[in-house]
Amino acid sequence: MPEFLETTVDKFIFKVATDRYYSSEGIWAQAEGNRVRIGLTDFLQQRSGDVAFAEVKPAGTALAAGDEVAVIETIKVNISLTSPVSGRVAEVNPAMETAPEIINKDPYGEGWLALLEASDWEADRARLLNAQAYFNLMKGQAEEEAKKL
Amino acid sequence: MTKQNKVVIVPCSGIGKTYGTVSREAAYEVTDDVRPDDTQLVALSLLVLGDEAARAAVADSPAITIDGCKLACATKMVNQSGGTVAQDFAVLDVYRRYRQFKPQGIAELNDGGQKLAHVLAEEITAVVDGLRLGPTAESAENKAAGGQNA
Repeated sequence: MPEFLETTVDKFIFKVATDRYYSSEGIWAQAEGNRVRIGLTDFLQQRSGDVAFAEVKPAGTALAAGDEVAVIETIKVNISLTSPVSGRVAEVNPAMETAPEIINKDPYGEGWLALLEASDWEADRARLLNAQAYFNLMKGQAEEEAKKL
Repeated sequence: MTKQNKVVIVPCSGIGKTYGTVSREAAYEVTDDVRPDDTQLVALSLLVLGDEAARAAVADSPAITIDGCKLACATKMVNQSGGTVAQDFAVLDVYRRYRQFKPQGIAELNDGGQKLAHVLAEEITAVVDGLRLGPTAESAENKAAGGQNA
């Protein structure tokens, strides 16, 4: 079970898992040996709304960091999600096909998107944010969003 | 059929949300057009306020709830008001089955939204019919069997 940094903005509680890295757009990346698991942050899933469909690039797809790795359709928006790492899609979470709402229920766990064979994790990791840095960024984004409510 | 025996339909009251509008359009289609004699609409806001007539309606009749999002306010409020949810519908689940009907718009739904509301109304109607026909069918069976409850 990961530990979390947590903040409350307006009536919303946002969590950031401390055991992984983040892109500024809200995609997390967690190394597992030579592979990197990716998914949406709690903030991104809450801001996006209930997920209706998730289409992840199939296994075997080669990606550069910043390439589109998935598209999710929620009750609010369609979002293109970019890969935080370079490499090849090794595995797609089968739940994305059958029960994509798992992204909303468990964004840091069962709601992962894909497992990638990273081509240069060390270089990618250096470009990503650690949990505290993402937490600070996310908190600012959440507070900006709250002002619009 | 008395009003109290009618199946209660409680849609989402989310204002400014497309899925809430779909839930209400589906509810209107069932209660106003398709099964007006078998159903009655109860406003979620009245349940929230604790309105006596609304609470009595859900307490005395089976309810069908239509939720616009995962908060499931309609279902929760019927349960908290002492009612029995015979069937709960989530607009998102229906949309997953009819992806070709992408709903958009709030005050006025687009064509996809109207079609989604229609197929949802059809599903609700089937449940209403099941609830209405269930006891009748049972009575008929009892009658045929010489039962005491016919």
